[in-house]
Amino acid sequence: MDNANIGIPPKGGFSFDLCRRNDMLSKKGIVPPPSYRKTGTTIVGLIFQNGVILGADTRATAGSIVCDKNCEKIHYMAPNIYCCGAGTAADTEAVTDMVSSQLQLHRYHTGRESRVVTALTLLKSNLFKYQGHVQAALVLGGVDATGPHLHTIYPHGSTDTLPFATMGSGSLAAMAVFESKYREGLTKEEGISLVCEAICSGIFNDLGSGSNVDICVITKGDKEYLRNHQLPNPRTYISSKGYSFPKKTEGTCITKLFPT
Amino acid sequence: MGDSQYSFSLTTFSPSGKLVQIEHALTAVGSGQTSLGIKASNGVVIATEKKLPSILVDESSVHKIQSLTPNIGVVYSGMGPDFRVLVRKSRKQAEQYHRLYKEPIPVTQLVRETAAVMQEFTQSGGVRPFGVSLLVAGYDDKGPQLYQVDPSGSYFSWKASAMGKNVSNAKTFLEKRYVEEMELDDAVHTAILTLKEGFEGQISEKNIEIGIIGEKKEFRQVALFIFPLCVSA
Repeated sequence: MDNANIGIPPKGGFSFDLCRRNDMLSKKGIVPPPSYRKTGTTIVGLIFQNGVILGADTRATAGSIVCDKNCEKIHYMAPNIYCCGAGTAADTEAVTDMVSSQLQLHRYHTGRESRVVTALTLLKSNLFKYQGHVQAALVLGGVDATGPHLHTIYPHGSTDTLPFATMGSGSLAAMAVFESKYREGLTKEEGISLVCEAICSGIFNDLGSGSNVDICVITKGDKEYLRNHQLPNPRTYISSKGYSFPKKTEGTCITKLFPT
Repeated sequence: MGDSQYSFSLTTFSPSGKLVQIEHALTAVGSGQTSLGIKASNGVVIATEKKLPSILVDESSVHKIQSLTPNIGVVYSGMGPDFRVLVRKSRKQAEQYHRLYKEPIPVTQLVRETAAVMQEFTQSGGVRPFGVSLLVAGYDDKGPQLYQVDPSGSYFSWKASAMGKNVSNAKTFLEKRYVEEMELDDAVHTAILTLKEGFEGQISEKNIEIGIIGEKKEFRQVALFIFPLCVSA
């Protein structure tokens, strides 16, 4: 039966084959280690009266360069579950994509709405399997048949269940806001403004976070994805003359014409 | 002829060029409950009779029509457990396609992959072919489509088709009744009438299943409320 499966790689787990080589190369200084796109980030979540609110900034960095000024860090997992991701952008996107796919299959088989703990367990098992090499720190939130839930997941696979949570490089700035202003039973407007405040605190006080605020409100039977809910960093001073310069502005040295 | 000597091993051709196990699989399909499908100009309808072995069986727990993706549904004639396995595999393949290409799987692709699975089981050691024929109904960018997949792994696109016990009568009835550019509501009505033709006993919304997919591209199971509207006294 397996003759149709030739060419499929062996199952599961991180292949450590190249780690010794990478170590040797970086020690010798021959090849600088590749810089990957990180989402030095502020991501937050809190539980309010009727459900869960997730928030994230929108800056993606590669080293000290901002490589995406408006990226999406709140990922879809299920119609009633969303997940914010901090860490290596590719890792967070890949892992949330895979688990979202597994949840969809699970929904077909059971005929029921997905539960947040299911997403949680699938994510943490996956991250543990890779022993922390998949650098994804996640804030998972959603509302299911058992009520609203909010969890944080660390790259090595441990999890926390909390009423309010922050992750990423801006987590301390955001947590300071939550710790002083959070209380149980917030309304939707109060919750959204508190999340915005926490993300803005990360945007302005942390170099790895910036640009705009994305919000996702999940309640029983409904969700609102507020992309770019707040834009606290608008582009000022746009020249009214435009940015194209007439020919010969710079002065030409040689002119060579080629037949077309 | 000498066919019976070759009928036990799946992977051996008989002298007449047939794979006898597949013929037997088709017989298993032919003794299953009738199911049919009709492609309309703005949708597809599939239906099947749901005769349960006893009145004590909880009919709401039996699902003969399943959805593979939000816009593709399937019904079968033959062995229920084999159908369940195929549905599981097809759903997984549809999800994998979506993960790879970030687009919903086209109906033809899903049919092809399901047929490939069924063919695998006709050319491997120690397995037997699936004892089901499937009718796959879907609506994608190419419009409404209806495919039949056989245990051998061959598939055909149909305007209207039937399978199972009453197949010859049902097909004759469909040939007479089918009209090009038929609309979905007429198709549902025709499907119920065709089922009624060969039905033993009283037909009701509890012993049939109907699945439809319209221009909204959402596959739904509708027997319970559509049946009373369609059937005239």
